[in-house]
Amino acid sequence: MDTGFYKGLKIVLMTGIVAVFIVGIVTIIMAAPQRTLNAKPGSCHECHGAEKVLPSGHPETVKMGLKDCLSCHPILEKESLRTKITGSHIHSLAGITCDGCHGKTDKQDTVEVDTCLTCHDVDSLVKKTSGIKPTNPHTSPHYGKDLDCNLCHHQHARSENYCNQCHNFKFIVP
Amino acid sequence: MGKDSEKSKDMSRRDFFKSTAGAAVATGAVLGGIGLISHDAAAREEIPKKWDESYDVVIIGSGFAGLAAAIEAKNAGANVIIIEKMPMHGGNSIINGGDFCAAGTKMQKEAGIQDSPEQMLKDMLKAGLYLNHPELAKIVAYGSKDALEWCETYIGARFTRLNFHGGHSVKRAHQTINASGSELVNKMLSKVKELGVKVQTRTKLERFIVSENNRIIGIEVKKNYRFPDENTGKKAYIKASKAVILASGGFARDVNLRKVHDPRLDERFESTNQPGATGEALMAACMARAMDVHMDWIQLGPWTSPDEKGFGYVPLFCERLVGYGPMINPKTGKRFFKETGNRKERADAIILVGVPVLIMGDAYAVKKQVFPEALEKGLENGSIKRFNSLEDLAKAYNIPVAVFKEEVARWNSFVEKKKDPDFDCMIFPDAKPMVEAPFYAARLWPKVHHTMGGLVINKDAQVIGFDLKPVAGLYAAGEVSGGIHGAVRLGGVAMADCVVFGRIAGKNAAKEKSWG
Repeated sequence: MDTGFYKGLKIVLMTGIVAVFIVGIVTIIMAAPQRTLNAKPGSCHECHGAEKVLPSGHPETVKMGLKDCLSCHPILEKESLRTKITGSHIHSLAGITCDGCHGKTDKQDTVEVDTCLTCHDVDSLVKKTSGIKPTNPHTSPHYGKDLDCNLCHHQHARSENYCNQCHNFKFIVP
Repeated sequence: MGKDSEKSKDMSRRDFFKSTAGAAVATGAVLGGIGLISHDAAAREEIPKKWDESYDVVIIGSGFAGLAAAIEAKNAGANVIIIEKMPMHGGNSIINGGDFCAAGTKMQKEAGIQDSPEQMLKDMLKAGLYLNHPELAKIVAYGSKDALEWCETYIGARFTRLNFHGGHSVKRAHQTINASGSELVNKMLSKVKELGVKVQTRTKLERFIVSENNRIIGIEVKKNYRFPDENTGKKAYIKASKAVILASGGFARDVNLRKVHDPRLDERFESTNQPGATGEALMAACMARAMDVHMDWIQLGPWTSPDEKGFGYVPLFCERLVGYGPMINPKTGKRFFKETGNRKERADAIILVGVPVLIMGDAYAVKKQVFPEALEKGLENGSIKRFNSLEDLAKAYNIPVAVFKEEVARWNSFVEKKKDPDFDCMIFPDAKPMVEAPFYAARLWPKVHHTMGGLVINKDAQVIGFDLKPVAGLYAAGEVSGGIHGAVRLGGVAMADCVVFGRIAGKNAAKEKSWG
């Protein structure tokens, strides 16, 4: 009888695991946009397919570039476009396509921080954000100016506030 | 009840293991330090046919101990690599308060402070409840002055003031110029780079590789690991021809491992540590036959605030004020414990009070003692508050005003006599009665701070195994080692411990004979 009980338990557990697994896979397939290399940045469906990614009533974006977006979504406002879509979209709207960072290759390797630094100068960034309260996010008493951009500014996922592992800084992280 | 327990008995260990593992997967539970691989399974793992990388000395961890070890091993002629599982170097060392305890130094002499290694050792043993392994504690106390001088002259770190920490008999904590361990870590890192040692971040130790004759010959790692996602990273094998040095820090952030050794310290307790302070590297060493000690002596910091995250700024405020201002129980309006007592005594006393307590000081004490930036940041995040009068302070924290004012008058009379008959607090010669507005206060509630326990080491920093002999090819230094501090690690002694034993480990690892 005892053996039966544990067999039953095992079956329940296994079924649970399989179910979680299937649900996971389905969710991933549905959620994951295709990374179409030559997609026009404002042409959402080229990667997202039929999935509705813009709020209803949003103006057509096919012909838009970053400047057009910024006319309604100013940079440092909370409603900023930069907290709503990932960094790769911003880059792409500004004309930096996939190969601009990843190079002309089929492999999608991790982009090293040196690639970011070819366009973004650390010192001028530090200067630009020197007035941000409670502290300048681009220099710290621990790491100076050496933090990897990608610790906060993710390109294919929502950005995060790396400082907030220990602190409670209310930065808007684009 | 009886039936259930019979059932449990019938359930074989294998079944139990399977169902536990299954449940963990199904709920997506993160088991942190408690690995699911049994000791047998780890031992059965094969020795790799091919190594991806090869060095003389492989160091795990990039805090004070790992960097000190790397510098010494490299200077002794070894080919060295440091691996670090987190995306940034420095571990806890880079967020610590920058206080380095050393005895009999030039700075102490200039300040007219009489101190000796003997006195420092006495303080360490007394606070450690004499559980310290005395020969290890002695090496730290007697090596502290030389280690500090090495940090100043060879590494170039600047120490500019002398601080007191609870449990010490004199001021012997030498504070870095920026009140942060980053001053020392970043200068050590520059030295490491200048010497040509690579620091490979996002590389996590998975297991030690043990030869047939029980020598540690290398490690299995995950490269490009993205903490804390265990599904990331690519397996690689790193050969260590001479030795592996484990300098991976403590396990204050490893709730599961913490609860095994001190079940009180569950999720309700925050930690001052960086998120990567988990125990899997320590456990991997145990699976490779290393012995652990004092694992249930887990230190709570009595100077942390519930009003800010992590270590925060309040510890820098509180520790500078003890011996200058009183610590008050807001429920009674009275003092309740010796402000300059050691960490364990004070944390236990606060937990006994049951609610956050207060530390305070007047304009004179705060201006004289507290690092201005820490004060400013603490005021800014709201964890430190400023008041124009003692009445305002009392009202803000719901302290009974009359009793409180009487207690402050009593404290002031002790300050004048430099003697505290109530709790024997050490009152400093330059302390003055608390009368000058504005007054500053912060709430205190303990957080998990340091794990005294860890791997057993000998005076050469070799890790000792369950056969009481050194585990060949394995060294340890810093918080991952155990026994040095016994029951209580005194404030500022971690830096001394890490640098002293890191250097010993580095020198000795480089002297090992290559196995192949």
